[in-house]
Amino acid sequence: MIREGSIHLPFAYAAGPAASRFLVSLRDEGRILGSPCPACRRVLCPARSFCPRCGDETGEPISVGPAGTVVSFTAQAGGVVFGLVRLDGADTAMLHRLLGDGMRWTIGARVRPRLAARRQASITDIEGFEPLQEPGDGT
Amino acid sequence: MRQVAVIGSGQTRHARCRDDVSQAELVREAAAAALADAGLRPADVDAVLLSNMELFEGRAFPELWVGEGAFACGKPCMKIATGGTSGTSTCIAAFHQVASGMFDTVLVVGFEKHSEGHTQTGMALTDPFWDRAVASGALGNFALSISEYMAERGVTERQAALVAVKARRNAAQNPHAHLQMPELTVDEVLASRMLAHPVRLLDMCPQSDGACAIVVASGDRARRLCPRPAWVRATATRHEQPTLGDIDRRLCSMRTLRDAAHAVYAAAGITEPLAELDVAEIYEPVTYAELAWYEALGFCRDGEAGRLIEDGVTTMDGTLPVNPSGGVLSSNPVGASGVIRVAEAALQIHGRGGSRQVEGARLALATGYGVYAWADAIVLGAES
Repeated sequence: MIREGSIHLPFAYAAGPAASRFLVSLRDEGRILGSPCPACRRVLCPARSFCPRCGDETGEPISVGPAGTVVSFTAQAGGVVFGLVRLDGADTAMLHRLLGDGMRWTIGARVRPRLAARRQASITDIEGFEPLQEPGDGT
Repeated sequence: MRQVAVIGSGQTRHARCRDDVSQAELVREAAAAALADAGLRPADVDAVLLSNMELFEGRAFPELWVGEGAFACGKPCMKIATGGTSGTSTCIAAFHQVASGMFDTVLVVGFEKHSEGHTQTGMALTDPFWDRAVASGALGNFALSISEYMAERGVTERQAALVAVKARRNAAQNPHAHLQMPELTVDEVLASRMLAHPVRLLDMCPQSDGACAIVVASGDRARRLCPRPAWVRATATRHEQPTLGDIDRRLCSMRTLRDAAHAVYAAAGITEPLAELDVAEIYEPVTYAELAWYEALGFCRDGEAGRLIEDGVTTMDGTLPVNPSGGVLSSNPVGASGVIRVAEAALQIHGRGGSRQVEGARLALATGYGVYAWADAIVLGAES
């Protein structure tokens, strides 16, 4: 005897002041914010109100990126590529999708965010990161 | 085993909705307040225990997401969930960790953000064969047992309403309390909406967002850090059969709480709880439960709870003030509610209860209640 079913689970999560600023800046200005920790001096991205390592309240959020560097990546069966991207000026890496059909990704690759045309104050307002063609790299 | 004491506590403002902060930020509010109260820095804490009802916020592994708010990075950290008793169970686990010599200082943080998930859905994820399809939730569960209790013991709706009034008037002296109804009357309680016979709206606890933390320390540390430590004199936890229909007479016997209470009284050398205890912070999610607990906790004989509340024995100026904080009936962030009972009982022993202080309190009882499945009892004292 097997009993089957499914559950519908509604939710509404408060982001809090720092993450709210991150999400609103991303939506309205296309800017990515990080939070500096006064104790360890790291810039934490996405922005947050306290440093998880030190416990201290963070300072005023600052813009980071938009360019960044691939720290690690994996290509899943089906073609979706996930990567950890450390944005310029940040000390932590962000988990997101890497975009670019047929791209041969490498650790250390330089990337930039591709922003969604219609943004909704969500981390998916960044569609993913795509290869950055730096000036003078000859490509 | 080593001596153990509660040396500090911190609470958030409890409210229907704390959407000004994230879950981790809410936890941090209470954790930082407790550390400040104990005169400690995060680095002074050896281990962190969290209390939360998993799935009430619709989120798996809450300890993973909010542990950073409890300053747990780089420390041993885990979560304990035993329904309504989660908070008291987590405090007891911390007492064990310190008593065993494993850690000197443990931070306990309980939290709940009912406004963010769907509590009734979380509660409905019960046994899939017998309960889930016919489950009536916490309210229906209580109401079933209360009807049986009223019939057997002759408790009246007016006596239950007296409990509601006592709780909300006490809460008016507690700046953390969610419900603030200092002028509430018995007639207003009796006129409030019927939810599930015989339980009315004002008989029930609210659903609150909030967090509460305590700092637990070993004997030497406690004496050094705290002028009046709240010493852990005895603890007991009891588990029950899971199915409502299997439990012997439910509220009438309340076997888990009765057994846990008698175990802690025996361990702490208490023979007449009503006379010997100075204050009690008991987990009463509904007015009728407080009356049933008076009997299970031995404050009176079975059938005498109604008289106890009518005579004012458990009001702030009675023989044994019960729930100076306003209790669960005034604030119920479930994962925090048991921790609040212990924090408030400890505050009374510290002598720092402010306008809700019971003068000269030296022996306090705190209890937890997790539907019928669990009960916890804790005795704290001014003497080790």
